[in-house]
Amino acid sequence: MLKTFAFLIILFAASGLYAQKKFVISGNVKDEATGEQLIGASIRILEIPNSGTSTNNYGFYSINAPEGNYTLLFTYIGYQSFARKISLRKSQTVNVSLSTKTNLQEVVVSANKPNNDQVTSPQMGLEKLNMAQINQVPVLLGERDILKTITLLPGVKSSGEGNTGFYVRGGASDQNLILLDEATVYNASHLFGFFSTFNSDAIKDVSLYKGGMPAEYGGRLSSVLDVKMNEGNNQNFTVQGGIGLISSRLKIEGPLVKDKGSFMISARRTYVDVFLKASKDTTLQGSILYFYDLNAKANYHFNDKNAIYISGYFGKDVLGLKNTFGTNWGNSTGTLRFNHLFTNRLFSNTSLVYSNYNFAVESFSTTNSFKVTSQITDFNLKEDLQYSLNNNHTLKFGLNVLHHAISPGDVTASESSGINSKSVEKRYGFENAAYISDEWKAGDKLTVLYGLRLSGMFLQGPGTFKTYDAAGDALTSQTYGSGDVVKSYYNLEPRFSASYLLNEETSLKASYNRNTQNIHLLSNSTSSSPTDLYVLSSNNIKPEIADQVSTGWFKNFKENQYEFSAEVYYKWLQNQIDYKNGAQLRINQDVESQLTFGSGRAYGLELFLKKKYGRFNGWVGYTLSRTERKFDAINNGNYFPAKQDRTHDLSIVGIYNLNKRWTFSATFIYGTGNAITYPTGKYNINGLTTYSYSERNGYRLPPTNRLDVGATLEGKEHKKYHSSWTFGIYNVYGYHNPYIITFRDSKTVPNTTEALETSIFSTAIPSITWNFKF
Amino acid sequence: MLMMLLLPAIISCQKVIDLKLKDASGQIVIEANVDNNNTSIVKLSQNVSFTSVNTYPPVSGATVTISDQSGKSYTLTEGIAGNYSSSQLQGTSLNTYNLTVQTGGKTYTGRSTMPPAIALDTITAKNDEFNNGNNQKEITVSYSDPAGIKNQYLFLMYVNGVQVKGIFVYNDDLTDGKHVSRPLRQDDIDIYPGDMVKVEMQCIDKANYTYWFALQQQQQNGPGGGVTPSNPPSNLSNNALGYFSAHTTQTKTIRVQ
Repeated sequence: MLKTFAFLIILFAASGLYAQKKFVISGNVKDEATGEQLIGASIRILEIPNSGTSTNNYGFYSINAPEGNYTLLFTYIGYQSFARKISLRKSQTVNVSLSTKTNLQEVVVSANKPNNDQVTSPQMGLEKLNMAQINQVPVLLGERDILKTITLLPGVKSSGEGNTGFYVRGGASDQNLILLDEATVYNASHLFGFFSTFNSDAIKDVSLYKGGMPAEYGGRLSSVLDVKMNEGNNQNFTVQGGIGLISSRLKIEGPLVKDKGSFMISARRTYVDVFLKASKDTTLQGSILYFYDLNAKANYHFNDKNAIYISGYFGKDVLGLKNTFGTNWGNSTGTLRFNHLFTNRLFSNTSLVYSNYNFAVESFSTTNSFKVTSQITDFNLKEDLQYSLNNNHTLKFGLNVLHHAISPGDVTASESSGINSKSVEKRYGFENAAYISDEWKAGDKLTVLYGLRLSGMFLQGPGTFKTYDAAGDALTSQTYGSGDVVKSYYNLEPRFSASYLLNEETSLKASYNRNTQNIHLLSNSTSSSPTDLYVLSSNNIKPEIADQVSTGWFKNFKENQYEFSAEVYYKWLQNQIDYKNGAQLRINQDVESQLTFGSGRAYGLELFLKKKYGRFNGWVGYTLSRTERKFDAINNGNYFPAKQDRTHDLSIVGIYNLNKRWTFSATFIYGTGNAITYPTGKYNINGLTTYSYSERNGYRLPPTNRLDVGATLEGKEHKKYHSSWTFGIYNVYGYHNPYIITFRDSKTVPNTTEALETSIFSTAIPSITWNFKF
Repeated sequence: MLMMLLLPAIISCQKVIDLKLKDASGQIVIEANVDNNNTSIVKLSQNVSFTSVNTYPPVSGATVTISDQSGKSYTLTEGIAGNYSSSQLQGTSLNTYNLTVQTGGKTYTGRSTMPPAIALDTITAKNDEFNNGNNQKEITVSYSDPAGIKNQYLFLMYVNGVQVKGIFVYNDDLTDGKHVSRPLRQDDIDIYPGDMVKVEMQCIDKANYTYWFALQQQQQNGPGGGVTPSNPPSNLSNNALGYFSAHTTQTKTIRVQ
């Protein structure tokens, strides 16, 4: 395999030799006011058609041209374009700072020079979210939330009312790779999914890959959500924050050394418990319920060639009920990165990443006191290289060594407790990968992004590993020593996507990619729970595999002011996991005996019309889709709709800047209800009414729809400080979207049964937040 | 379950709704029990559609036999329509029983082994840990789990003669060899001083534990619903609904103080 990579690199390098003698222009693009590196800013040489490139995740770009006089044009959404004349006689560094301009009107209307990147880029299935836009979208209780905002995009579905869980193109929620500064976030939600772990204050850039995953990403089947934190202002100290209904935020940032280094610290804490104290219910009064987040980052640029970044996240949820029990859970991540420019064509990033998710449940009952803990810890060493061979080839290649340590569950109890201490064996494994990809401008019209990723999974001892028969009883059992490889899997993942330009504003794109997944979430409840458990691929669990093909038509209108896209996709899923009936997933050494394996398929059409610029901006997204699963042990082996199967899904987002001070926004969603299993009969067992079922997920919840509105009032301009008010109304017309449907003996008509629908957030919920910055 | 604590705190609303549900009625339901108390009974009925009243047509005229591992066979006779029993049949711990039901041209079989009897030591009423503002009580059962063997327990609770709608099923995964006192948490019937509470404890086999555990999981309503519901895994053949359980039984009754 390595030979193939070496061969490819030599091949590309050789092709470079025959090119005309060219010089390299390279450098960084930054925000003028804060010094933040701009990700994805585009750079073009006006005199050379089709010469565009864009900055990478660290604001770095590299572009080639023969000797001559040129005009370099730098553009970035929300910023004023900047043109720089250069006389190219030898390779040179051009660092540029772009300005947002203070005049809102100007920014929105004229400063943005719309470009046609979305048409020309071979990348498919990528959604880039603009943080300014996210901050305008109205949300529940005024908590701005990137995870809720992405569910307004076509192909992305929310896992439920007020929930941050999401499904991408028919994938399960654990098939999304959620990265915060390259660290995996295992449980991206707070308070059972009502809020996400991402505090918008600390977030700089959000990219969601729904398909056509570039080769540098791997390990999950359906999507990559790549979230990057702010670096911190390296020009001035600023303090900003907000006071909202359920939480308050504070962010401090500033230079460590002006122009060279900066830091950022951002914190958020909720005070939901205050509401509980006001409750009439005595039990709720005595309870604890809050969460907090802390994001911190610092960076230092030694010179044009070397920079170091360190960032971390720490968040925790705490819930307790008087003297009965307490539980807490949270993620922590840490990333240390080193950027190095070997030459003005070869950019390197080395990362050491730590990620941990843990939870604990404690019972304080006098007779049955115990504590359950579980955690997963990752260490990840990554080396990513980017080589700008010439303007027609940009290579990316790298290596990735990821170590997992999973402690599925430890019960500790005192001698006097009625509970025994028990520990489920820890599991260790490596997920390693090597990749190479090339973005090749094959002509004026055709651009191809192709690559290959090799992933290797190694499950290691120590421990006892069993195989099981169909009934779940152990067949064989073998004990391995520390470091012994119990099972290994190799997978080759081809990635390919191409765009063909029909004209300056229209293109056709196609992509194929294979993804594999070696870490699997075990949860047989229908939404995310803090006690969710992860397992690695093993002698019983094969790697999940997804193959996706997609094709699309991309069209910009009115000088790129409007973007339209229509994409269709088809996805085949192998080695999918479901649970045997009555599965015991918690504190079970033989948890793998509780699983059943099958396949799946998902296909759909996504239409997306977006207006990125102007006083009135926003988007309309529509998805028509189907997603099904097939398991021998379920539904008589027939295909059945996955619970996230949603035929129609419509989102409309509108933002209107009335004047310098007022901005209004509204979102509307409509979606087919989730697939659900309802009873088709009832009987009596042991004196209890019991329901009988026929097919899996044979019914639908009623369709959901909701309108939310918001408004932002910017405070009057001050030299020293700035403040704003954010108002919102969630579920304006108080629609009762079904949350749970349950079946029970009727409370009113004896000897009959009834279906009961529970809705939450079923009245209009207003919110208000005061934001400040100085 | 944790979620349920949060639900009252967020704005929620409940209403009874009409659903158009398919009618897959007429399937056989077998509720077969062999116990050590000479109250063994096999009840045969059919399921009905969701919208029907809770009256289940009995299945009469079936041939029901139960044999033990020594080859001794008992033919059960029908008393009340659909209820089959035999005065000869007295279950014994560690015996394995085979059930055969023949009706409507089909044969249904099942097998179950009666576990050793574990004594129900006490049942006590304590202040409800979750609702203790109004003197509400919670029933706790206690028993000594024998070490080194797998045990499964099913409890049925009656308050003033009315059965509590809840499934109380436990194993000894975390309590092997312990003196166990276990609150039977439920929110169906509030219990106050003066109430008569009866608890039946059954020691059941592993297959029946899985059956009841699967039903219990489906009753938990987490966010968006609990586990996807389906018919619990049964130890009966031919897709019959229900179970065959050879179990020990004992009851205790207290007046709540």
